[in-house]
Amino acid sequence: MSTAFERVLLVVEDSDEDFDTVLEAARDCGIAARVRRAVDGDDCLHQLQSLDAGPVRAATVVLMDLGMPGLDGRGALRAMRADPALRSHPVVVVSGSGNPRDVQYCYEHGVNAYHVKPHRYPEYRALMREVIGYWMQSVRLPDTGAAP
Amino acid sequence: MTTGSSRPAWEGQPYSIKRHGVDIAHCDAEPVHTPGCVQAHGALLVLRPADLVVRQASENVAQVLGLPVHDVLDRPLEAVVGAAARGRLQQALEREPLDCSPAYLFTLDADARRPAALDVSAHRIDGVLVVEFEPAAVAQASPDHYAQVRKTVARLQTAATLRGLCDIVVEDMRALTGLDRVMVYRFHADHHGEVFAESRREDLAPWLGLHYPADDIPAPAREIFRRLWIRPVPDIDGALAELVPLVNPDTGAPLDMTHCALRGASVMYTEYLRNMGVRASLTMPIRRGNDLWGLVACHHNDGPARLPHALRAACELLAQVVSLQWHAAEDRGFADYRLRLEGVHQQLVAIAAQEGGLAAMTDATPNLLDAMAAGGVALYHRDRWWRVGTTPDEAELDALAEWLNARPEFESPMRPIYQTDALHRDWPEGERMREVAAGVLAMPLSRARRNLMIWFRPEVLQDVRWGGNPHDKPVVPGPHGPRLTPRASFELFVESVRGRSAPWLPVEVDAAVRLRLLVMELVVSRAEFLDALNADLARSNEELDAFAYVASHDLKEPLRGIHKYAHQLLDDAALQSPEDLQKLHGLMRLTQRMDSLLDSLLHLSRVGRTRLEFEEADLNEVVDEAVEMVGGRRTDFPARIHVPRPLPVELCDRVRMREIFCNLLSNALKYNDKPVRQVEVGWLDPGTHDDVPGATPAEHGQRVYYVRDNGIGIRPQHATQVFELFKRLHGRDEYGGGTGAGLTIVRRLVERQGGRVWFDSTPGVGSTFYFTLIAPPRDAP
Repeated sequence: MSTAFERVLLVVEDSDEDFDTVLEAARDCGIAARVRRAVDGDDCLHQLQSLDAGPVRAATVVLMDLGMPGLDGRGALRAMRADPALRSHPVVVVSGSGNPRDVQYCYEHGVNAYHVKPHRYPEYRALMREVIGYWMQSVRLPDTGAAP
Repeated sequence: MTTGSSRPAWEGQPYSIKRHGVDIAHCDAEPVHTPGCVQAHGALLVLRPADLVVRQASENVAQVLGLPVHDVLDRPLEAVVGAAARGRLQQALEREPLDCSPAYLFTLDADARRPAALDVSAHRIDGVLVVEFEPAAVAQASPDHYAQVRKTVARLQTAATLRGLCDIVVEDMRALTGLDRVMVYRFHADHHGEVFAESRREDLAPWLGLHYPADDIPAPAREIFRRLWIRPVPDIDGALAELVPLVNPDTGAPLDMTHCALRGASVMYTEYLRNMGVRASLTMPIRRGNDLWGLVACHHNDGPARLPHALRAACELLAQVVSLQWHAAEDRGFADYRLRLEGVHQQLVAIAAQEGGLAAMTDATPNLLDAMAAGGVALYHRDRWWRVGTTPDEAELDALAEWLNARPEFESPMRPIYQTDALHRDWPEGERMREVAAGVLAMPLSRARRNLMIWFRPEVLQDVRWGGNPHDKPVVPGPHGPRLTPRASFELFVESVRGRSAPWLPVEVDAAVRLRLLVMELVVSRAEFLDALNADLARSNEELDAFAYVASHDLKEPLRGIHKYAHQLLDDAALQSPEDLQKLHGLMRLTQRMDSLLDSLLHLSRVGRTRLEFEEADLNEVVDEAVEMVGGRRTDFPARIHVPRPLPVELCDRVRMREIFCNLLSNALKYNDKPVRQVEVGWLDPGTHDDVPGATPAEHGQRVYYVRDNGIGIRPQHATQVFELFKRLHGRDEYGGGTGAGLTIVRRLVERQGGRVWFDSTPGVGSTFYFTLIAPPRDAP
C-alpha cells in the first residue's frame, strides 16, 4: 500500500521564479527532497514514464503550469489522461490564467484541481504550501503496486 | 357628347362610314379598321382563297370593272376580270408572301368593259383574299424613284441629329412626291403632337413648332399606324363605296381593311383635313421599336393627289429607313453628352467605392450635379437624405419618396425608373414644389432599404404654340343630335404652361439606368466586402483570445517574479534603510497595479465577446448578491445601501447584470468622502421620468434603473472621460486606486443588452448613474 513517504511531486513549470516559490513551499512542508521538475509538457511525460519504470514505483502528484513552450499544460494533461499507465496520477493545475475557458477545458479533461497563481509572493507561497500539504500528505491515492 | 344614349349609333349592325358616320365623342371607339367602305376611285373584291370566288365587292364595281355588283358576287374571278388575270393572281398567290402585306401584282389594261387601266394589288387577311383595283398612272416617262430614294437614304445616314434626319426626310419626300406640304409630326408622352420638321410650298403658312391636341389623331388611328407602313387618302372629297354585303358570308365578320390602300377614311378625318384646307394626304408612321414615335404627314391642297404604286412604295421605304435610322441619329446627336454622363457617373461610383458610401456622390468633386443637367439631386441612403443643388426640403422629400415607392414603374425589374416633366400631373401634392421639382427622374437603389436617387428640374415657364385652341371643341347639329366636329379654327393659340420642366432626354434616362446598375454592383461588392470583414473579425477575435492568454500568463509571470524578488529583498537584513524599504514597497505596489490592469483588460475583452444568456431575473436578488460581493455590508466606514421600492423581474443576463450593479455600487461607495456614505438603488417606470436629465425622448418610454450616491461627484469637464478605458479621474492611490476599467465594463455590458448608460452629477453633492435595457417595459411585479 502506498504511503505519503513514497509520493513524488513533479512540478511542470518553465519559470524559474515560480518553481523557486513552489520549492520554498515544499521546503516549508518538509518534502523538498521529493520534488522533481519538468520544464515543459514533453519533459513531464518523459519523466513520468521513467519514474514509473524505476526501481521504486512511486505515486506521483503533478503540479502543472499551463502556458509553456513546446507541449503546453493542456497538451500534457490530455496525453496523461489518454495513457492508461499515467491516467491515475493526480494533476493539479497552477496557472497564471484565470480564463474561464482554461478552467473549463482542464476540468473537462480530467484535472483534479485548478488554482490561479496569486500575484503577491506571500500569498503565492501560502497557496502552494496548502496545495502541497493537501496532495502530498492529506489525500489517499491509489495503490502503485510497489512494495511498502 | 351625344344627347341621347352614349352607345354608338351603329351598335347591333355592321358599321359603315356611309351609313353611320361618327361623332367625336366616340371617335376613340370608331372602328376605323372596318369602315365598310372604300374610296370610290378604286374597287375592291374579297375572294374565297380556296376557289377564288367573289364573296364581297365594293358597290362601285360597275364603274370600275364594268359589271354590276349582282353579276360579280358569287362568281369565280375569271368571270369578272378574265382568265389571264386570274392566272396571274394564282401565280402571285403561290409566289408572294401576301399575309397582311399588300403587293402590287400587275396592271389590267382598259378594254370594252373597263374604262381605264387598273393597278391590281392583293393581300391576305383573316382567311380571305383582298384584291384592290386602282386606276393606273397615266402613262409617262417613268421617273427613276430608285435613284432618288438611294440618294436620300445616303443623306439620312449622315444626319448628325434627329432633327437633321427629319429635315432631310421632309425635304426629299416633298421633292419626290411634289406634294404641297410634308411634315414630321412627333407624338409627346401625352399623345399630343408637334410639327417637328416641315417642308412646304412657299405660299403656305408655316406649321413648324405648332402643337396639336391628342384628339386630332385619336387612339384607334394611332393604333392602325403602328401596324401599317403607308396610308394614302388621294381625295378627301372623293365618294365612298360600300362593301356588298358588309359582312362576309363565309367568316361572318366585317372586312378588316387596315392594310387596304382604298380603305375609306373616317368622316372625322376628312372633315378635319377639309377644315385645314387640305384636299389629299399621304401618311407614314415613324416607329421606335414597337412604339409609334411620330408620322411623316404629307398634305396636298391643290386638288386630289393620286400617287402611283411605285412612288408610294418609294415613300414607304423612306419612312422605314427613318424608323431604322432614328435611334442612330439620336445617338449621334447626344454622343458627347452621353460620354460625359457615363464618364462622370463612373468616376462617382469609383469615389463611392473608395469612400465606402454613396453619400460621397453628393459632396465630392465631381458630384451628381456635374453629370446630368438638373437643378438638384437627392439621395436617400443610410436612413437619411443627402442633397446637392436645389431640391425640395426633407419633409417634402419624405412625402415624395413615399409616393414614389408605391409607383408601378418601380416594379419593373430592368428599368425601375420614374420620370416626368410635370410632377403635379401625376401627383397633385407636387404642385407646391414645382419651382424646384417640376421635373423628377427617380429610381430605387434598393427596395429593402427604400434607398432612392432623385434628380430634380425646376419649372420652366413655356409657351406652347397650338395650331388652334386645343380647349375649343365646336359642336354642330348632326344626324344623331348635336355632335362635336373637328376643329374648324387652326389659328395660332399660344398657351403658357406652368409646372413643367425641360423634359428628360432618352440619353439621360439611359444614363440613370446604367448608373443604377453600377451602384447596385457597388452595393453587391460592398456586401461581399462586409462578408470578408466579418471573416477577418472572427479571425481577429481568435487573435484577441490568444492575446488575452499571452497577457494573462506571459505578462503576469515576470510580474510575479519581480514581486517575489522585491519581497525577498525586504527580508534581507542588509537592505534596511527607510529609503530602500520605501522603494521596495513601491516596486511591489507597481507590480500589483500592473497585475490589476492586466486583469481588467482581460475581463473587458471577454465582456465584449462572450454570449449573453437572457433569462427572467429577480433584480432584488441580483442587487443583494452585488452588495454582498462589493462588501457593502461590512465596510470599514459607515455606509448605507438603500432600495426604496422592490425592483422588478427583468429579462436580462443575470451574471452581467450583477456585474453592472457591482461596479456601480463599488464606485458609489469608493468615490465618497461623506461621514455616512449613502447609495440608493432604484428604478423608474416608463413615462414617469421625463425629468431625468440626459434621457432621450425614446428613453422616456423605457424603464430606467439608477444608482445614486452622495459621493464626491464628477466635475463637468470630466463628463466625457468617465466611461473611457483606464481613465481615472483621480490620483493613482486615491479612493482605493481602481484600474479605471469599471465604468467602461459597465457601459459595454449595458450596451450589449441593448441599453444605454449615462449619469448626472453635482460635484461635492453626488452622482446618479442611469441605465436602460432593451427588454420591453412591463408592469411592475
